Amino acid sequence: MYIKDIKLRSFRNYERIQLEFDDKVNVIIGENAQGKTNLMEAIYLLAFTKSHRTPRDKELIQWDEEYAKIEGSIYKRNRRFPLEIILSKKGKKAKLNHLEQKRLSDYIGALNVVMFAPEDLNLVKGSPQVRRRFIDMEIGQIQPAYIYHLGQYQKVLKQRNHLLKDLQRHRRTDKTMLYVLTDQLIEHASTLLERRFKFLKLLRNWAGPIHESISRQLEQLEVLYDASVEVSEAMDLETISNRYQEKFSKIEDKEIDRGTTLAGPHRDDLIFHVNGKDVQTYGSQGQQRTTALSLKLAEIELIHSEVGEYPILLLDDVLSELDDFRQSHLLHTIQGKVQTFVSTTSIDGIEHHVLKEAEIFRVENGTIEIQK
Amino acid sequence: MYYPEPISKLIDSFTKLPGIGPKTAVRLAFFVLEMEEDDVLEFGKSLVNAKRELTHCSVCGQITDQDPCSICQDEARDNSLICVVQDPKDVIAMEKMKEFSGKYHVLHGAISPMDGIGPEDINVPSLLNRLKDEGVEELILATNPNIEGEATAMYISRLVKPSGIRITRLAHGLPMGGDLEYADEVTLSKAMEGRREL
Repeated sequence: MYIKDIKLRSFRNYERIQLEFDDKVNVIIGENAQGKTNLMEAIYLLAFTKSHRTPRDKELIQWDEEYAKIEGSIYKRNRRFPLEIILSKKGKKAKLNHLEQKRLSDYIGALNVVMFAPEDLNLVKGSPQVRRRFIDMEIGQIQPAYIYHLGQYQKVLKQRNHLLKDLQRHRRTDKTMLYVLTDQLIEHASTLLERRFKFLKLLRNWAGPIHESISRQLEQLEVLYDASVEVSEAMDLETISNRYQEKFSKIEDKEIDRGTTLAGPHRDDLIFHVNGKDVQTYGSQGQQRTTALSLKLAEIELIHSEVGEYPILLLDDVLSELDDFRQSHLLHTIQGKVQTFVSTTSIDGIEHHVLKEAEIFRVENGTIEIQK
Repeated sequence: MYYPEPISKLIDSFTKLPGIGPKTAVRLAFFVLEMEEDDVLEFGKSLVNAKRELTHCSVCGQITDQDPCSICQDEARDNSLICVVQDPKDVIAMEKMKEFSGKYHVLHGAISPMDGIGPEDINVPSLLNRLKDEGVEELILATNPNIEGEATAMYISRLVKPSGIRITRLAHGLPMGGDLEYADEVTLSKAMEGRREL
């Protein structure tokens, strides 16, 4: 799939722009703070209805304006799909084919995007939250029902945490409602866990060989799941749910004591091993980067195999962070099949024929011009 | 230029209604000025009467102008069957179906710890009392199919199960007269789960 054109209105520092893109590689060049990342963010938002940088939609609307609008045309299987996101102080609307989609899960998945930004180098080093977000977003865009279950899970979790606080402070004493919410939580937790396991199985198939090749056959990457309950990935839904039951009855007193839910997908993590060692703790910075890159490249292939089309790749200011070998590996992988947006302050020093054929856009203070 | 007081008061009152903003309130107020006097009087009376003459049925909790309500008083209805709903409007919806001959119990809400609503804040205690002495054989839980509605149904079920009363839950599934292709994935998977033998 590829994005043919985009229109922005009152979005960040863009008052009103309209751009047509190349279906292969687009390079966005500009000094810092001119609006390169804002353009990447707009494309990301069109896919996920959320920014990758901020949870507050208000920040995305230009100062003094009532609303911001992003419109884009996507082509997949030779058909055009218009997408539209309207952000206002009252909330947001997402339209697919000009029709408003009330459920997030009916909209997400229309456009598949893989973003690789400097923050993603943190995928390995950063907090578990970063890795949970990664796994949730990726499953969500190939399997929209996952987003529904995640939303339900978070709602039950909020209810349960409130009740645990009430029990902790002796505002309530009857535990019947706690058992009800535990059952409800387990129902969604097991579904999420089962789907995460399935996704990991697919991810490993791609990430392993890719990592081996980027590391010139020197490194073996393993992706492990660190669950807050004793489960194995071979278990079926019912067994997973039983394990959660056992866990929650064991930690009941502790949960009431602390006033919060202590097990579930919201406390799990991913662990990456290179040649048998935990990269987060023992890996060099180079190994951590290679791991992050392998995972992103694996995502591209995974989406292709699950959705039947390559996603759009956004490389925000990361190309210069990679050494020559990794750069050319990356550019070689996307060559001719993945529509890619590269943002950078300068293309000097990036010698690759892929970039020579690219469409070049120059960004300066909220205006964008095509360089002929 | 300001509105004369009678009309600005009227506008103010309309703004208090749900879904009515300042613009609509002005439009409605001016419309009232154009109405026949009799119609306006009738309208005013209905508003006051609705508030003054309606109470909650002491048995089932439904809004009614007589206590107990007409459904609870109806001897032709089956006392052994109680359908539990969240909202008075749900009773009306069920009654339109004209197929249910049991009685109702209106909870007036659902249990939601984050909103500070516990079982005792909705009509759960009165339901449990009712079950003690009315010879009820089946309880149909017809709360809404969302997190809070489900939790409320599960809660009631846990409390009532030991008494041996049969407990059922409304089925989830496809809307009638619709096309399968337009159903969302979650509804479809619930419908698949609840499939039955033909």
